[in-house]
Amino acid sequence: MTPPLTPSELAAFRARQKSRSRALALVLVALVVLFFGITLVKIRDGAAARHQAVLAAPATQAQ
Amino acid sequence: MPQLPLSPTVEPASAEWRDFFALTKPRVMTLVIFTGLCGLLAAPGEIHPMLAFTAILCIAVGAGGAAALNMWWEADLDAGMKRTRHRPVPSGRIDRTAARDFGVALSCGSVITMALAIGWLDAGILALSIFYYAWVYTVWLKPRTPQNIVIGGGAGAFPPLIGWIAVTGHITLMPVLLFLIIFVWTPPHFWALALFVQIDYAKVGIPMMPVVAGERSTRHQILGYAVVLLPLTLLPWWLGFTGAIFGLSALALGLVFVGLSAQVGLRRPLPDKDTMKPEKRLFGYSILYLFVLFGMLVVDHLAARFGA
Repeated sequence: MTPPLTPSELAAFRARQKSRSRALALVLVALVVLFFGITLVKIRDGAAARHQAVLAAPATQAQ
Repeated sequence: MPQLPLSPTVEPASAEWRDFFALTKPRVMTLVIFTGLCGLLAAPGEIHPMLAFTAILCIAVGAGGAAALNMWWEADLDAGMKRTRHRPVPSGRIDRTAARDFGVALSCGSVITMALAIGWLDAGILALSIFYYAWVYTVWLKPRTPQNIVIGGGAGAFPPLIGWIAVTGHITLMPVLLFLIIFVWTPPHFWALALFVQIDYAKVGIPMMPVVAGERSTRHQILGYAVVLLPLTLLPWWLGFTGAIFGLSALALGLVFVGLSAQVGLRRPLPDKDTMKPEKRLFGYSILYLFVLFGMLVVDHLAARFGA
C-alpha cells in the first residue's frame, strides 16, 4: 500500500497528472488533424488517378 | 501535518509529459529526423508536403518508440552508469511497464501510419529498423559482443533509406549507399564516446570494444573505419548519383575526419589524468560531420534540380 501524501506532495502529483493529460489531449488533436490532412491528399490523388484513367481509356480503345 | 488519503490505484510518482518525451532520446532523434529528411529531399521525384511531413514524423516517432523500448530493457544497466542513471526509468519517474507500453504504442502507431499514408515497403523497413534497434542491438548484441555497435549501427542507418523510399517507392543503390555511410560512420563515432566513458561500461559489464579488446585496438579500429568511410562517401559522386558539391564536400569533411581519427588512433602512451581531448573532439566532430555531409547532399540535389 502506498504511503499517504502530504498536501504539497498531492498538489505536485495532481499538477504532473494535469500536464500529462493536457499533452495527451494535444497529441490526440494533432493526430486528428494529421489523419484529416492525409485523407484529403489521398482522396485528391485518387481522384486525379481516376481522371487520368478516364482520359486514357478512349485513346486505348481507338488503338 | 495533516495527510490526505490516497487511492491505492494511484501511483505516487506520476510522470510528467517531459519524462515520456525523455524516453524517446530527443537528442538522438534530431540526427534521425535530419538524415531522414535529407534522404527524402535528395530523392528524385515528388511527394506531397503533407505526406513528406507524415513520413518524417513516422521516422521520428518510430525512433522514439525504439528508444523507449531500449530504456525499458536497459533500466538496470542505466541505473549503474553515471551518464544514464538520471533517465526517467532508473530514477523512478516512470515505471518500467509504462515505458514498455509507451515504446510499443509509438512503434506500432508509427508503422501503421506509415503503411496507410506512404506504403507498405516503407512501413516494413521502419518496422525492421525498430526491431533492429530494440531487439537485435539492445537485447541480443549489446550484452554479448564487442562488435555490438558495428552491427547495431545499422539501426541508425535506416532513416535516409526510409526517407528516400517515401518519395521513390522502391529501393535503389543510392539510398543503400546512404545507409552504408551511416553504418560505417557509427563505430568511430560511438567508440570515441566509449573511450572517455569506458569506466562506466566496464562497471555494468557491457562488452564495449575498449573494455574487451583494449584501448589500443579500439583506437586502431576507429582510424580504420574512418579510412574506409572516406572513399565510401565519395562513391555517390564517382557513380554519378550526385554532383561535385557533394563529392568535394565529402572529400573535405572526410579528410578532417581521418585527421582527427588519426590523432585518436595513433595516440599513445596516454599521460596520467588524461582529459581525452582528442577523443572528445572526434566525437563532437563526428556529429557535425554527418549533419554537414547530409546537408550537402540536399544542397547538391537542389543545385542540380534548379540548374545552379
